[in-house]
Amino acid sequence: MRALGRWLTEHWIAVGSPLLLLVAWEWASATGLLREAFFPRPSTIAAHLRQLAADGTLWGHTAMTLIRIGWAFALAAVLGVSVGLAMGLWRQLRDGLDPVFAVIYPIPSVLFLPFVSFLVPPGEIALVVTTAVTSFFLIAFSTTQGVRQIDRLVVEAAVHYGARGWRLFATVLLPGALPLIFTGLRLGLGFALIVVVAVEIVAASRGLGALLWLSWQILKIEDMYATFFVIAFLGALLSYGLAAFRARLLPWVQDVAEP
Amino acid sequence: MAVLLPAALLVLWEICSRFAVVPPRYFPPPTTVGWVLVDRVVAGDLGAQSLVTLARLGSAFAIAALPGVLLGLLMGVARPLRDAVEPYIAFIFPVPKITLLPFLLIILGVGEPAFVLTGATSAFFQIVISTLGGVQTMDPRLLEVGRNYGARGARLFWKIILPAALPSIFTGLRLGLGLALVALVAVEFIAAKSGLGHLVYRHWQMLSTPEMYAAFALVGALGLLLTRGLRALQARVLAWQEEVGSL
Repeated sequence: MRALGRWLTEHWIAVGSPLLLLVAWEWASATGLLREAFFPRPSTIAAHLRQLAADGTLWGHTAMTLIRIGWAFALAAVLGVSVGLAMGLWRQLRDGLDPVFAVIYPIPSVLFLPFVSFLVPPGEIALVVTTAVTSFFLIAFSTTQGVRQIDRLVVEAAVHYGARGWRLFATVLLPGALPLIFTGLRLGLGFALIVVVAVEIVAASRGLGALLWLSWQILKIEDMYATFFVIAFLGALLSYGLAAFRARLLPWVQDVAEP
Repeated sequence: MAVLLPAALLVLWEICSRFAVVPPRYFPPPTTVGWVLVDRVVAGDLGAQSLVTLARLGSAFAIAALPGVLLGLLMGVARPLRDAVEPYIAFIFPVPKITLLPFLLIILGVGEPAFVLTGATSAFFQIVISTLGGVQTMDPRLLEVGRNYGARGARLFWKIILPAALPSIFTGLRLGLGLALVALVAVEFIAAKSGLGHLVYRHWQMLSTPEMYAAFALVGALGLLLTRGLRALQARVLAWQEEVGSL
């Protein structure tokens, strides 16, 4: 109780400011200062959220989105770490792929949807592969960086002690690159959420992005807000949850790309 | 290698497409795409649509840059403001900005302002976060030196805090511009009826693949120009900072 009190005196502004905004919003919409058609009251939105959750609609869409993120992330992680390690170890490959990646990377992933839908069977697989594109690049870049920033002295010492080939890789290079690999994975997972929502808006009938877009098209504004909050909650969970997870898993490293 | 591998990939694609190893209808040979690109940029819609995208990007960036830097700086120096605003930044930052589009479409109506603002928000939050980070991570010794030499208030801000935060501000602007481009092209792909993103979408629907790839390549070139070009500029203008970062 006392700890809570101390925490509150420290953070009262950070807690109070969103609460104040919600109250002000509720009041402004109720009195007609804000048009309720555009800005429904927070309490109305909460009621709609409850209802969407109660009749199961929300869970179905959320599960769909999570499954897509899971597959896309797995695909991006396996390919990204492998390609990244290879690029970190072989200079020739790095020099060759660098310009290719530099051109492809800044293209928004949703634009890959047409290309991917020619490449693999359209539908679910195309959605997942498109979602994986940006994450793949982020993970590959970070992993390459991770291998390259390993202290040369450490590698030389290991070689002098007779570590070669697989042993050198598994005991020196991989652990050395791990912190940046993790950073890449974290960024990749965050981007998978961003991209999957965009892809769902364009090309899916289920999933949170699709639900958001559909709610807009049929002007169910309250459902639109409710869906938005679920997406925002997922985003916060992914980015802050993963940062906390990393702090536990790799306590000795400082994250280079803290958002 | 830097020339060889990309060239080899293009040649391989060309051969596979010419000999119909891959369906040329979906994967037209790069030379065909190249001709379409040159032809359409000079005479057709590609040039005009690129300008549309660039104009949107310029407006979005102009809207986001100054308020973003200002808010970031103010949050850096005024603790209560930081406490009050940080929850919103933390809440919105990880959200895909494209989800703001339907809200803006409802409030502002379907049109340019909604498209541009979606891109601007994307840039805005990145700029705020980078600027704030720049103020927060500055070497406290610099502040002490400034104070010891009698700098207070506005002088301390202009002479010490702002120059120390400048590299981060520039990084924020650079990343923000890139994010705005990504958001805008996605918006064009989804909702707008003009711009490079829309061209990719339309030519996909009409299955005029050479045009589709040409527009796609232009988006890539634009992104490359912005990311690499600005990074080079940053390294030049802010020559005293050590590392510009790789992304």
